[in-house]
Amino acid sequence: MTPGFIVGGSLAIFLCVFFVAVLLPGITAKDTPSEIFRPRTPLEEEGRKIYIQNGCSYCHSQYVRNLDWDLGAQRVAQAGDYVSDRPHQLGSERTGPDLSQAGGEHPDDWHMAHFINPRFTRPESLMPPWEFLGRERLLALTAYVQSLGFKDADARMARQRYWKQEAIKAYEAGPDANVEWLHSHVPEPWRKLPNPYPTTEAGLLRGKRIYQSFCIGCHGPIGDGMGPAQPYLYPPPLNFTILKGRGISGGILYYQIMNGITGTAMPYFKRELESEKIWDVGNYVAVYFIGETDAGGEPRGIEASYIRPREGK
Amino acid sequence: MTVKSFFLSSAFWMVMGTLAGLTGAVELIAPDLLGNVPWLVFGRLRQAHTNMVMFGFVGSALLGAAHFLVPRLLRTQLHSERIGLFCVVLWDLAIGVGVAALAMGYTQNREYAEFIWPVDVAILIVLLGIFYNLLMTVRKRGENLLYVSVWYVMGALIFTFLSYFFGNAVWAPQTGSIWGMPDAILAWFYGHNILGFFFTPLAVAVAYYVIPIVTGRPLYSHTLSLVGFWSLLLLYSHIGTHHLLQAPAPTWLKVVAITGSIGMLVPVMTVLINLWLTMKGRISVIHTDIGGKFVFAGTVWYLFTCLQGPLQSLPYIQKVTHFTNWVVAHAHMGVLGFAGMTALGGIYFMLPRITGRPIYSETLADIQYWLVLTGMTGFFGILTAAGLVQGHAWLNGEVVYRVLPQLHPYMVARAASGIFIVAGALVGLYNIVMSLREARSNVGSGDLTGQEGP
Ligand code: HEC
Ligand code: HEC
Ligand code: HEM
Repeated sequence: MTPGFIVGGSLAIFLCVFFVAVLLPGITAKDTPSEIFRPRTPLEEEGRKIYIQNGCSYCHSQYVRNLDWDLGAQRVAQAGDYVSDRPHQLGSERTGPDLSQAGGEHPDDWHMAHFINPRFTRPESLMPPWEFLGRERLLALTAYVQSLGFKDADARMARQRYWKQEAIKAYEAGPDANVEWLHSHVPEPWRKLPNPYPTTEAGLLRGKRIYQSFCIGCHGPIGDGMGPAQPYLYPPPLNFTILKGRGISGGILYYQIMNGITGTAMPYFKRELESEKIWDVGNYVAVYFIGETDAGGEPRGIEASYIRPREGK
Repeated sequence: MTVKSFFLSSAFWMVMGTLAGLTGAVELIAPDLLGNVPWLVFGRLRQAHTNMVMFGFVGSALLGAAHFLVPRLLRTQLHSERIGLFCVVLWDLAIGVGVAALAMGYTQNREYAEFIWPVDVAILIVLLGIFYNLLMTVRKRGENLLYVSVWYVMGALIFTFLSYFFGNAVWAPQTGSIWGMPDAILAWFYGHNILGFFFTPLAVAVAYYVIPIVTGRPLYSHTLSLVGFWSLLLLYSHIGTHHLLQAPAPTWLKVVAITGSIGMLVPVMTVLINLWLTMKGRISVIHTDIGGKFVFAGTVWYLFTCLQGPLQSLPYIQKVTHFTNWVVAHAHMGVLGFAGMTALGGIYFMLPRITGRPIYSETLADIQYWLVLTGMTGFFGILTAAGLVQGHAWLNGEVVYRVLPQLHPYMVARAASGIFIVAGALVGLYNIVMSLREARSNVGSGDLTGQEGP
């Protein structure tokens, strides 16, 4: 082969392929925005720049697939979601969860605590601490994260803001009012429901492990709400001791842990924890921090087969 | 001089790049250890790592090797040592500035296209300079026939230049990108071409050069060379979208990418069959030359990478492997196992033929071989396993956070393997520096510098 043949052939192939594999998809791509799309505000754009500068995309993807169960799994990504993205931030690795629908999952104060140090709200996180970015830039970054999901995120944010006000009002009215407010949202049947499983040593040990992996950064090692995240959260994490004698039940604990308390930093755990784990951690909190438990109380139906007859009476 | 400088740069960047990688690996075990040092934060460090090992270590070595083998094969001198040296200096400067900028948060944040605009321009100038220099070398050749290595070098330079130009959207200095999904398609067209048209053909050129000389055998088949070369250009360029199979990219493009990925078996197997039949019965001979030994290992990793590649471009497999450490294992196997080991083989094969003396220490080079090989094998096993743990857990409905503690032991083992690779890089830097220093005090004593060609 002559040099001219190689150069000419390479050029020809490159141009043909570039046409097929890049230009054609570019030309035929519809740049019509999807139904959730809206333009970003200047603050959100600034946050996106910070996201880009710090390489968040090397741990976080930004598209939900039809086989996902984690954050944002309610809606599979569409090409029209990305029409304003320059550069794209789709990502290639999920060391952390997908963020394309992260907006409004948590209130702003959760994000601030999480960015200062992710271990504050998620004790086993691998995400780096971002305190060095400073408050201003963390606020912009939070604004960007809260916009992920566009109109869906806006709807979730509106809900967070509404319930944030209510939660603050209740918190500032004192422990009695706060507990009453917290429990007023738990459906009646759940409030009367005792934890159907008796307290066991194994269950308490499991509960402790779950508490340390998921809860300790906020509610603190002794359950007084003074975990390292506390200075950043308002209303602050609940001090469990105030629940004693205020009508707490296994059902309330289960419901609150499962569902979270929108507007406060308290996240839902229904994705992270299966049923038994929620009962276990709830009972751990009840036994060690609240100091009263209804575990194994009546009514509890026919005993589950694994409960040892001696324990279940 | 040009070749030596490229090799020295390569050895230097291998140390810097692998150190950055090891630091990142440690951060994935203890995220607060280096907490709040902005320029070492994982998101920035990962970009510094990939760019240093890809362009700095592997790129420098392969470009150096190209400057060596093209004139040798054509029985002539490099057209201009001055252009060559200019290119080395600008190349190193570009990578140095680019990496410093990444550490400071100046990035365009598209994989392997992270360097900011001024660095992009410098790299394009270097690629153009090298192309010009080697083309002029070809024009004044003393040997009419162009050996297959020369085709690969020329094809690589043309494709890399064009891919780099379009892929970095050089006309858009602010963002270095176009918009939305088409930007992702363009970015992965580019990203894949860096692997397929920068590393692969240059490394294959080195293997085609080294293996016939070391085994003392003529190349098995020139027809196979032809098939391998043109099918590489045709197929590899189509398949970038296999990085986006689960993203909302056009379905027809995904089909093209998957078909092309499976078709990649043709260029890969023709090259490997050609090389291995050339060395048939002579594998022990190859292992007497430390350069040949590295290159042989490189071809084996090439086989593994390119058997795994088509497999993981199937949507059925990618359901499990995508987004996980499985892909990280594949990436290291391609870039370090195949391209990196072949590049190191090129360095150790060519150094004595430039300086006219054996390298400083064969033993050290052998130690480096085993360090890199052990580390790389460890990486492959550990990261593949970690990827399967992640992928299966996610498919079963576990959230990312829940799987993190399960990754911990794998991340520890990965960092431990990384120590082998960093140690290999340090041994290599010492050995290459000493080889060049000894050479300086012994100019012109060469019997090894004589012409030889496959
Ligand atoms: C080393 C990889 C890594 C990097 C880099 C990283 N993250 Fe994370 N991120 C994680 C992991 C792991 C989690 C899951 C645990 C947790 O919530 O901390 C996470 C969780 C998150 C969450 C919480 C999602 C949710 O609602 O549960 C947000 C928001 C987030 N990251 C944003 C960012 C931003 C913004 C950046 C860049 C400034 C970033 N991350 C960089 C690993 C990373
Ligand atoms: C990011 C911080 C944070 C984490 C992590 C967290 N919580 Fe909370 N939790 C809160 C906040 C804030 C409240 C509500 C405080 C208020 O409104 O006064 C709360 C409230 C609760 C309540 C409501 C009690 C009631 O009687 O209604 C329960 C129960 C609870 N948390 C249990 C847990 C458990 C168990 C975990 C771990 C699985 C956990 N929390 C993790 C912050 C957190
Ligand atoms: C037959 C050849 C090959 C095929 C078909 C192939 C296929 C693939 C596929 C499908 C992915 C994406 C996986 C995913 O995201 O789920 C991938 C990633 C990758 N491949 Fe290959 N591969 C091949 C050869 C190579 C070679 C030779 C190299 C290196 C020189 C290489 C380096 C990489 C890298 C670095 C990535 C990671 C990209 C990223 O996500 O950051 N591959 N490959």
